[in-house]
Amino acid sequence: MIASVTFRNFKALRNTSLVLAPFNLVVGPNGSGKTSLIQALLLLRSLARHPATVTARTVPPFESPEIVFRFTPPFAAVEVELGCSSDFVCDLLRVKTPAPELWAQARGEILRIRSYLFDHYAMAEPPSLDEGKELAGNAGNLAAVLRRRAPENFKLLEAEFCRLLPEFSGLDFHDFPDRRVQLVALLSEGRQRIQMENLSQGTLYVLAVLALAFDPAPPSMICIEEIDRGIHPRLLREVRDALYRLSYPESFGEKRPPVQIVATTHSPYLLDLFKDHPEEVVIAQKEGQTARFERLVDRPDFKELLNEGPLGDIWFSGILGGVPEEKPPEASQ
Amino acid sequence: MKLAILSESPADEAALRVLVEGVLGEPVQIVQAALRARGWPSVAQVMPAIIRHLHFNTDAEGLVVVVDADDSIVHTQTHDSPGYFHPQCRLCQLRAVFRQTVKKLPPARGRERILRGVGVAVPAVEGWYLCGRDERVTETAWLEGQAAGRPPYTRRELKWRVYGTDRPSLPHEIRCALEDAHRHARDTRHLENDFPGFRSLACDLRTWKRPSR
Repeated sequence: MIASVTFRNFKALRNTSLVLAPFNLVVGPNGSGKTSLIQALLLLRSLARHPATVTARTVPPFESPEIVFRFTPPFAAVEVELGCSSDFVCDLLRVKTPAPELWAQARGEILRIRSYLFDHYAMAEPPSLDEGKELAGNAGNLAAVLRRRAPENFKLLEAEFCRLLPEFSGLDFHDFPDRRVQLVALLSEGRQRIQMENLSQGTLYVLAVLALAFDPAPPSMICIEEIDRGIHPRLLREVRDALYRLSYPESFGEKRPPVQIVATTHSPYLLDLFKDHPEEVVIAQKEGQTARFERLVDRPDFKELLNEGPLGDIWFSGILGGVPEEKPPEASQ
Repeated sequence: MKLAILSESPADEAALRVLVEGVLGEPVQIVQAALRARGWPSVAQVMPAIIRHLHFNTDAEGLVVVVDADDSIVHTQTHDSPGYFHPQCRLCQLRAVFRQTVKKLPPARGRERILRGVGVAVPAVEGWYLCGRDERVTETAWLEGQAAGRPPYTRRELKWRVYGTDRPSLPHEIRCALEDAHRHARDTRHLENDFPGFRSLACDLRTWKRPSR
C-alpha cells in the first residue's frame, strides 16, 4: 500500500528515503530510526482521521520537519505530506491528489494501519469479551479476540499453534461471569489446562502472531517491533512464515488482499532466513546523531556477500553497517 | 541402522531420511533427531562438535550431512584423486572436517569411529527434488552454466518449480520434499546419475554396509 516514505529532519532521520516492499524486515542498532519509521506510519494514520488540506497543485514543502508518503497503485497518484512543528510534534497533513475521491479511498486503507509491541503481562490478564473486536497493540485482549473468532477460523489457528508447539494439544477458554475471558492451552500429556498467566512469554507471542496471521479481516498494514522477542531461534522460520501468510497470501492458497508488513528485529537468526529474499531486508544505519535507511539489495556487492556465510553473521560482523557505534579505544601513551 | 542427520530444516531432514533408507535398503533409526545448522559455513563449524557428541554420547553408527552448493565450486571427479583437496569445494571441505575430527577420537561404545555420509546438493536440494521431473535440471547443466557465466536457473526458480512459490510454508515444503524423496528412494540411479553430489552420499552410505567395517 505504501510505496515509500521520505524523511526530512524527523528525529534522527535527517534526510533519508525508504522504498517499502510488501514485506520489510528492518535491522539496525538502537536509536537508528526503526521505531521512528513505525511512528511515522502511525502518525499518518492518526492525522488521516481528521480532515486534511487536499490540493492538486504543486506547493512548496513544509519548512519544518517533514515526512512524505507515496503509495502503490491504485493510489500512486496520491502523495501525503506530514509537517511537524518540532522534531516530536507533527500535526499538519497535506494531501496532493488529482481526485479527492482517490484520497478518500486511500484514507480508508491508511486508517487500517496497525502497530504491535506484544506485552505478555497484559496478555496474561483476562480481558472483557467486549474488548475483542480487534487485536490491541500490546495483544492484551488476545483471549477476547480469539473468543470472538468464528469456530472454523479458530480451529485453523489452534491446529497451527499445536503444530508449532507440539507440547500442546489444543486451546480452550474459561468464561468468567463478568464477561471476562481467559485463554487456556491444553498440554498434550495429561490434558492439563494451562492458563495464559502460566504460559511462557514466547508461547504467548506466537499465539499473538497467529492471531494476526489467521485474522479473517486483517489490517492493511502491520508494524511489529522486535518480532523475534522471546521466541526460540528455531521457531523464527514459523514466525516469518506466519507473517508471509499475511503479505503473500497467494503463496498460502489464500485469496485476499496482501497485508504490508514492517517488522523490526535484532536477531541474526531471523535475518538468516532472508537469504533468499534480500530485497526484504532494510538496514537502518546510524552515523553519529543521524540515521538513514538502506536496502540490502542496494549494495552492489550483496550477492557476493550472501555467498560468504549466514546473512545474520555477515550483519553482525559490521560490514553491512546497521550495528552500534563503538567508542574508539584511547591511544596508548 | 542408527544414524544422525545434520540438516538445515525439518523438510531437509525428512527427505534425507527417506533417501538414505532408499540407498541402504533398510529402515533407519534416527539418533538425536533435529540436529540443525544455519547453512554454510555453520555446518562445517558445528560438525566437529556433533561428531564428537555422537561418538561418545550416543550409539549412532553414522552421521549424514548434506549441504547446498549455492554458487560454490562444484565437486568433480578430479577432486576424488588421492590426496586432492579443493579449498572452495564444500564436499572436499566437509570430508576434511570429518577426517580430521574422527582421527582424533579414540574408540568408544564398541566402535572405531562414526561413519561418514556426506553429500552436496547442486545448487540446492530442490534440484534433487526436480530430478526426473525436469530434465533441464542437472548438475551438468549447472556446471555448464557456471562455466558460461550464465546459471541455467536460480535457487528461487527451483523453489518455484518444486513448491509453486518461493515462500513455501514448512508443512508444504515437507510434503513436496517427501513426495519427491519417496519417488527417488524407489530407485536412486537417476538421481545418482544426474547429481554426482548425491552419488557421493550414496557411495558413502554403501560403504556402511560392507562386512569389512
